[in-house]
Amino acid sequence: MAIFSVYVVNKAGGLIYQLDHYAPRADTEKTFSFPLDLVLRPHDERVVVAFGQRDGIRVGHAVLAINGAEVNGRFTADGKDVLEFLGNPANYPVSIRFGRHRLSSNEKLMLASMFHSLFAIGSQLSPEVGSSGIEMLETDTFKLHCFQTLTGIKFMVLADPRQTGIDALLRKIYEIYSDFALKNPFYSLEMPIRCELFDQNLKLALEVAEKAGSFGPGS
Amino acid sequence: RSELSLAAFALLFSELVQYCQRRVASVAELQARLAQLGHHVGLRALDALVARERPGRRETKVLGVLLFVKGPLWRALFGREADKLEQANDDDRTFYVIEREPLVNTFVSVPRENSSLNCAAFAAGLLEAVLGASGFPARVSAHWHKGTTLMIKFDEAVIARDKSLEGR
Repeated sequence: MAIFSVYVVNKAGGLIYQLDHYAPRADTEKTFSFPLDLVLRPHDERVVVAFGQRDGIRVGHAVLAINGAEVNGRFTADGKDVLEFLGNPANYPVSIRFGRHRLSSNEKLMLASMFHSLFAIGSQLSPEVGSSGIEMLETDTFKLHCFQTLTGIKFMVLADPRQTGIDALLRKIYEIYSDFALKNPFYSLEMPIRCELFDQNLKLALEVAEKAGSFGPGS
Repeated sequence: RSELSLAAFALLFSELVQYCQRRVASVAELQARLAQLGHHVGLRALDALVARERPGRRETKVLGVLLFVKGPLWRALFGREADKLEQANDDDRTFYVIEREPLVNTFVSVPRENSSLNCAAFAAGLLEAVLGASGFPARVSAHWHKGTTLMIKFDEAVIARDKSLEGR
């Protein structure tokens, strides 16, 4: 039972707080011999699987480590280009770890603003007047819950689909925000939240919510 | 005796700190400003409190006034007594009032750049006014030690008078 992350977005759509509480790391490490039966290609700053999905390695997974050493973007730990390294039969057999790459803070900023825009579109398209906007986005691996306050701040929580009590958690996060961010003389409105007490209390609240969550298989 | 919402006080105090911060250039100045504001509060709080709690009696001994501060004064202002009252080992002029989490700092997270700032300087100013107006002039300062410690340094004359009273 887990709460994956918390995002707080301000009135203008900018991300002001982000916390990764639990990241389900589904990495797969396998040993390969030449030739590699996966097709890899460069994408942004990473080397990504383009074709050849098998055994837990999905399309879109990035190369995370080669022979145990973490790769640095498109280069191995020693500075060699990953694709060149893997194209040379002399380097085999090689053990490669694939997995979903962690989002960089820039990407998180962009995604938060995108969600802000979708939220606005959603509430305008709604046939009802005074729509509350997108409250929940459900997929088969996670649920994204969103709560917009009267002042336009959005609190988003990504959690396991079986986790209950997220509504209460969103209200609690709102309370914590109004206590430790708004009553802090050193916090300016709409700016990134950098308050120790806010972090501490938020983590406590997440732990309480996780423990009280529903009991499902594999918790 | 009425109770006040903590949220209301916290928002007011937060505005107080921001108001001071706009007019100062250093942490020391900010603490001095907060102490000054606390001073005003202390003077007014003392009269009302003494009239309610100790009608007709006035503290004359140093220990007496310190116990009054730790107990009734703190309880009336912050809803709970101060955690500890200690005397310095080497100096009979210096006393410490220690609180793990002072009420005024409940919602305040000091950013790392100003980590020496302790908003309990407000409480320090308050205490200084209370002691001064009761006839025990002293210097009170706030420090980050075991939580928050208010260091009280009495004037020489006060200690000398106290000693002569004990002798009698």
